[in-house]
Amino acid sequence: MMKRVMVPVLSVFIVMSVSYAGYFGSRHLDGGLVQQWMACFFGTTYFLSIAFGTLYIYTTAQLRGAGLLQRILASLVNPLIWMTKEVLRLTESHPFLESLYWFLNPLDLWLLSFVIMEMGLATLMARTILKKKGEEVSIFTMGPVVTVLGSLIFAISIYAWGEGENIYVFFLKGYRLLFGYGL
Amino acid sequence: MQPIMYGQFFGRLTAAIRILFAIFLTCAAAQAAAGTGQDQPNLVFILGDNHNAQTMGCAGHPFIQTPGMDRLAKEGILFENAFNTTSLCSPSRASILTGAYAHRHGVKNNHTPWTGQMKTFLDHLSAGGYATAFIGKWHMPGEGLPDMPFLDLFVSYTFREGQGAYFNCPMIVNGREVPSRAPYITAEVTDYAIEFMQKVRAESRGGRSRPFCIYLSHRPGHPPYKAPAGVAGMYADADVAGVLPAHADPLWYGKTKGNVFQGVMMGSYEDKYRKYCETLTAMDRDIVRLLEEMDTMGLAENTVVIYMGDNGMQWGTHDCHGIREAYEDSLRLPLIVRAPGLVLDPGSKRRQMVLNIDMGPTLLEMAGLDIPASMDGQSLAPFLRDPQARGREAFLIEFWRYFPENTPSYIGIRTNQYKYIEFARGRSPWLFDLLNDPSELHNLMDTPQGERLLPELQVRLAKMIARSQ
Repeated sequence: MMKRVMVPVLSVFIVMSVSYAGYFGSRHLDGGLVQQWMACFFGTTYFLSIAFGTLYIYTTAQLRGAGLLQRILASLVNPLIWMTKEVLRLTESHPFLESLYWFLNPLDLWLLSFVIMEMGLATLMARTILKKKGEEVSIFTMGPVVTVLGSLIFAISIYAWGEGENIYVFFLKGYRLLFGYGL
Repeated sequence: MQPIMYGQFFGRLTAAIRILFAIFLTCAAAQAAAGTGQDQPNLVFILGDNHNAQTMGCAGHPFIQTPGMDRLAKEGILFENAFNTTSLCSPSRASILTGAYAHRHGVKNNHTPWTGQMKTFLDHLSAGGYATAFIGKWHMPGEGLPDMPFLDLFVSYTFREGQGAYFNCPMIVNGREVPSRAPYITAEVTDYAIEFMQKVRAESRGGRSRPFCIYLSHRPGHPPYKAPAGVAGMYADADVAGVLPAHADPLWYGKTKGNVFQGVMMGSYEDKYRKYCETLTAMDRDIVRLLEEMDTMGLAENTVVIYMGDNGMQWGTHDCHGIREAYEDSLRLPLIVRAPGLVLDPGSKRRQMVLNIDMGPTLLEMAGLDIPASMDGQSLAPFLRDPQARGREAFLIEFWRYFPENTPSYIGIRTNQYKYIEFARGRSPWLFDLLNDPSELHNLMDTPQGERLLPELQVRLAKMIARSQ
């Protein structure tokens, strides 16, 4: 369990945490080259760790023999940590229950659809590697292919629908339905 | 002592002559208006969106081209200390229309609906004989657009929570949905404004002489920043160093504090800023067109034109992006008033503290109408006439949390020197000395100076809250 799942999850978590500290820590420096370099570098690694960490975690976990549920849960840990951090950030201004609603914001939906797509892609990648190692596996099966295509179509659709603005408007309507005007 | 007394005497004499001359000019303008069969000036109020007060050529911006605003400033007065009382779109728009603080008109954030219980300055002008038009972005919450039957023309949109779209925005004209006529939104609404002026002029020639008031509300300045062909890309190579703070992250727009999506979002902050400027230039081109059309129609001499923003905009200052924080960049508004006949020194600036809630009283005074007691603001006309006229000493700042933006509700006071803000939750109070720390970098709370200042500011804030109830 530790090697199969925890190590890849922790690796990405460490990259994410260090990047977070490096990115926001850079603001304490003067706005010179070092600060700009740090912000660009750690901003990039921060983004990659959250948005694409699943590719690494899921592939590694599958190669190490983790089961489907373990792989899925492992892939969701870091994105959920980041999403929770964002929800907690909102509690500075809003009640806890309303802040929880932020879990449903379009960016999170987008991230989750990418994470699911990456799970499908990672399955294909892991199978390709296993096949190269001589194992008898068929790479393209219905499950991962449908997962990749379905999540990709979903991600593109919610963006294509008014370049993301319409889904955001829908999200705000949902908020008012649940919480009124927030006053 | 003698030279000082002479100095005072001549100072007062000069001021008196200025005021007399202004009254003479006002009378002359009224007489000119009478020559056109009209006693009151026409009024054109143009509203920008999220327009940072420094982002105009006439405010000294290094690269943005705003010849329309620059012309207005050259022929009128640029107010350097204009503020909004609630730094958020819908509350500020309601404050502009009603002349009242947000706690009185009730539009406290972008979710609370406009009730229509308080009259707008357009109501009063309409009752005073004006042909009135509301054209452009309404953007106040509620089901659809409000019922404003007194308007001669009501052109707006409800698309995407009233934010509209830069291109091909479906419009609602006097309650009827119509397709977009001009592809770009500023051209679309300006066309309606020009047609309205032409229609009222034609009515005048037909014997029904009415002055007009147009409330022309633009979208540019609001994301997503999209400029039309001919403007898009014009600042692609503009050097933003020195405009954006050194700390502004050039690569990761989304992670700048205060962004709605503060987390992970790709996009260059510098490019966003350049595109923001492009949309403002696109709007300005239609302001130029409107002013030229007024020249052609012979209206310029008897038309007051005001350009203002609904709220300011923070581009990376204090590591923040947005319009809601109680920092100067968010609170400050661009404000230019061209009032032929009223201003003795066109091309000048004014330092008096003026507010969004002053627009209603100003326009009503210019129209020669009474200012209703429901309005909290005061007319700018005295400042237009006399640069030395005494301005307000302080104003009330109020903000109600607006999900999902991460800014707690706050209330505060801004005097000519200090700003004191109390937050409802999540943050300790702010106290800034704006004269000695204009960038608001040193919170004086819990410092000896702050402890000395705090009691008086708290008392003034409490009095101001009580007075405005």
